[in-house]
Amino acid sequence: MAVQAAPEQEQVATAPLLQVQGLTMSYGFGDAENKILNNLNLEVNDGEFVSIVGPSGVGKTTLLRVLSGLIRPKSGTVSVGGEAISGPHRDLAVVFQDYSRSLMPWMTTLENVAFPLQGRGVGKKERNEAAAKNLAAVGLGGQGHKYPWEMSGGMQQRVAIARALAYNAKVLLMDEPFASVDAQTRFDLEDLVIDLQSNLGVTIILVTHDIDEALYLADKVIVLAEKPATVVDVIETGFGDHRDQVETKADPRFAEARARILHRLRSH
Amino acid sequence: MTETALRTPPKPGPGTVSTKNASVRQAGGTFRERSRFAKALLNVLQRTWLIALVFAIWWTASANSTNIFIPSLEDILLSLRRDLSNGVIGSGASYSLTNLGAGLLLAVVVGIAGGLVLGETRRLREIVDPVIHFFRSVPQAALVPLIIGAFGIGQGPKIYTIAFACMWPVLLNTIDGVLGVEPTIRKFSKVYRIPAGLHFRRVVLPAALPQIVAGIRVALPIGITVMVVSELFAANKGLGFYILNSSATFQVPETWAGALLVGVIGYILSLLFIVFERRILSWYFKSGAK
Repeated sequence: MAVQAAPEQEQVATAPLLQVQGLTMSYGFGDAENKILNNLNLEVNDGEFVSIVGPSGVGKTTLLRVLSGLIRPKSGTVSVGGEAISGPHRDLAVVFQDYSRSLMPWMTTLENVAFPLQGRGVGKKERNEAAAKNLAAVGLGGQGHKYPWEMSGGMQQRVAIARALAYNAKVLLMDEPFASVDAQTRFDLEDLVIDLQSNLGVTIILVTHDIDEALYLADKVIVLAEKPATVVDVIETGFGDHRDQVETKADPRFAEARARILHRLRSH
Repeated sequence: MTETALRTPPKPGPGTVSTKNASVRQAGGTFRERSRFAKALLNVLQRTWLIALVFAIWWTASANSTNIFIPSLEDILLSLRRDLSNGVIGSGASYSLTNLGAGLLLAVVVGIAGGLVLGETRRLREIVDPVIHFFRSVPQAALVPLIIGAFGIGQGPKIYTIAFACMWPVLLNTIDGVLGVEPTIRKFSKVYRIPAGLHFRRVVLPAALPQIVAGIRVALPIGITVMVVSELFAANKGLGFYILNSSATFQVPETWAGALLVGVIGYILSLLFIVFERRILSWYFKSGAK
């Protein structure tokens, strides 16, 4: 399975959809300069699910902020589809960690999902249809009239995912998206994201500190470590499209990859 | 089974309790309807007993008053009824309330617009901040003669005076509200490239609205005070004029009646405002943010 998948990917990967080259980021100047990211390089191919894993405080959030165009790097470039970005980009959508703060409580879930499309000038009927469709895709069909605060945490994060999908960006950036929900909801959301990714062919970059989650979800796991952070390992998981919370995690390759990542993180 | 039976509150079983309930039902309406009515009645009583008591004490204590400046409540209410029925107060009140309405509206529009802009642009806020705090610290009522002196005695200057006094709480609260917008929502707005106009209208404004409304609530009584004060100078109409005029001609019960009426109007307006607030901020109250 893994052996078959690898050459296929190489054929597709003529040019990576998202490319990070020589990314360096620091806060402060002079003696007080605190270097966060150091000469970081990574590539994400079209349709790929990439996890970025690393210990807390390594600089994952900073990397995500650079990728989403919220802050500019000291040096290096982030390019999408071969074009270097200079700020928030049309082809990048973000799912924030804290769903309860990223959804707007004065809008219904349908309005929340449709709102970014309104910003792009999509007509009311069209954007509401798109919102309803994407709410249905995350398992919230017919619940658009509810307000976010009438929903559970897991449902709110589904709404946030629907909003990112409706934006129709090529790349979805997810910042520890399941860190604030309980374990069972987390498994459900993980499986939902896997399904969405294989059905819609969207490219996903998910940042997490959880090694199991990173491995379970991704086609490729990028390991960040050291201070300032840099890429210390890239692992192709090769589990294919079908994943199961029990089977996949019991796969010997899963244990092997897990050990390898842990080893990488420990040795730095 | 036993566990649920233990947990649920005692249900009317097929014993004495159920027959009791049935008799209550027969007596009039369902039990629930009656208890809701009783609750509402209790609620009204709870909110009104003190004011009723105050008026009762006022009435009895002032009944045999010989002090010309403290007439009996009976005299005050009689003058109030007379001047209400002959339209003297009516025309004055409509003049005053028009000024109040126009002044408040102006204050709200300018306060919110200015507050949104100042809240969003730090540089500008830092420049303007000392000026704002200087002007809001100036006693507004003291400015009334100056404004009227400078701008004339018509209705316009009175409206500007009310607007000027009411603007500060709205402006300051709007700035505070804008500064308090959840950072994640700001990030969302940036990443999803929401255009500035839409960002103001659908993100910043609603997020700041609870604070803005609180500012308007503070502005309301200020407006009523300034409304009265603005008619104490160079006016020939309005509630303030009625109070001043009666006081100057030693019609003391009328003076009291006017003051009492302004108080009642203030109370009614604040009640109306609560209804308005519940409506415009229903998401805020329901979401449990408050």
